[in-house]
Amino acid sequence: MGNTAYSLGQTLLRIENVCLEYDGRPVLKNVNGEVRDIIVPGRVQGQVVGFLGPSGCGKTSLFRIIAGLNPPTSGRVTVNGFDRPVRAGEVGVVSQNYPLFEHRTVLGNLMLGAKQKEKNSQAARDKVMALLNEFGLGDKFNLYPAQLSGGQRQRCAIIQQILCSEHFLLMDEPFSGLDLLMLEKTCELITKVADMDDLNTIIVVTHDVTAACSVADHLWLMGRDSDSNGNKIPGSRIVKEYNLIERDLCWQPGIITTAPFTDFVREVKDEFRRL
Amino acid sequence: MNHFAAVFSPNAVLSKSAVRILIAMQVGVALLLWIVSPLVLFPKPGEVLGALGDMWQQGLGGELITSFYLNLEAIGLATVVSLLLAYATVMPFFRPVVALLSKLRFLSLVGLTFFFTLMAKSGHQLKLSLLVFSVSVFFVTGMADVINGIPKEEFDLARTLRMGEWRVVWEAIVLGQADKAFDVLRQNAAIGWMMLTMVEGIVRSEGGVGTILLDQNHHFRLAAVFAIQLTILMLGLLQDYGIGLTKNMFCPYAALTLERK
Repeated sequence: MGNTAYSLGQTLLRIENVCLEYDGRPVLKNVNGEVRDIIVPGRVQGQVVGFLGPSGCGKTSLFRIIAGLNPPTSGRVTVNGFDRPVRAGEVGVVSQNYPLFEHRTVLGNLMLGAKQKEKNSQAARDKVMALLNEFGLGDKFNLYPAQLSGGQRQRCAIIQQILCSEHFLLMDEPFSGLDLLMLEKTCELITKVADMDDLNTIIVVTHDVTAACSVADHLWLMGRDSDSNGNKIPGSRIVKEYNLIERDLCWQPGIITTAPFTDFVREVKDEFRRL
Repeated sequence: MNHFAAVFSPNAVLSKSAVRILIAMQVGVALLLWIVSPLVLFPKPGEVLGALGDMWQQGLGGELITSFYLNLEAIGLATVVSLLLAYATVMPFFRPVVALLSKLRFLSLVGLTFFFTLMAKSGHQLKLSLLVFSVSVFFVTGMADVINGIPKEEFDLARTLRMGEWRVVWEAIVLGQADKAFDVLRQNAAIGWMMLTMVEGIVRSEGGVGTILLDQNHHFRLAAVFAIQLTILMLGLLQDYGIGLTKNMFCPYAALTLERK
């Protein structure tokens, strides 16, 4: 048990026996997973799950199912305790190249998200402006996405999805192609978004083991099982879960330079190689 | 790299002023070649200007206005029809219909005149329907390609913002591709002028610049043919500029995404 006192509350997101087949070929097989509200006394604590897996193991397929964009062949994903499959829009999605509507200004893009929740235009605008200021984009509201830098675009895409989905965010390869400085900033950004509300839950799909470990409180490793001869059996599932809180490896500044963290990353990488 | 080498280097990027100088030089050389060309079949600028003046006095201006309005009417109708058809491809029912219409661009207008004559009530309507048809088959092909090329993630983005499927169509296709619709319009409005002279040659009831062009061509009045062609070119360039200006006004973001390659 780690040093941070915490408890687990209600289930925020549940993946139940999700299977997916393409033309009779299994891609996902009985995927199960759960994100529960992490309660830390005296502070706002969101949830960040690092979602790792080798290329081609079906991460994107599961990503789309969790986002409600594609239905599974069987099983379901539920959020917020609803007894029905997740619907598109309930889980925000920030893709690798941070898509935004190019024909709308930053404000226009964000209003699309805000007005799904807040019908009063002025209230929606106020909410958008508050978030833009919070994320250092207050003076960019009138620009078009093409006029934003990569980092500004990323923040704008995150705000848009947070405004609409409110608590859930799926991020696809947010660390891809970033230099060290930008990588650190992105990790800070993810932590900041997660900790804006107790119920905020971010699932980060990535290949970057170190970055995932540095930002997540839980890790999911996805991969395929092997038969007795060592051949991979078609159909991936979450084969291993790590609780970084239990290992006392999260929520601490500078943790990534410590030996336990380095050892943990090595352990995850070793496991990753076996997937 | 010096300027001379740069203009012949692959993927070289020139400054705006260098591009202006390059264009001015090329236009100058073209004019010079025209003036000093020994080809007898090539009327000299003076002859062309003289022919233009004569035709103007004989009512070329009126014929131009007739043709311009016919073209404008046809482009307007073709734009509405083509956009509606292209947008309709979001529904599977309309995809084969639009695919078939797109294939009709290989048909010759002359061969279709009979069918359109049977349907049209006047010469103007016949010309208009021929033009709308000939522009639409190209327009709908271009626009359907634009819609087909929209990345899946743009639709996903709309869906993750809780938009219904019709709203997704509105946001990702109608609004999202408005700038490209202007580009397709620009290309097809030019095709309109090309077809116009042919259509006016086939149906001569209202006159028009195409009728005059064919008459002058028939009598080998090359200076007059050149004068009409140049006039059409100028009008076409003006139209092109106008559409570009409208695009910039309604889609200011489009220019921001253009990268020099």
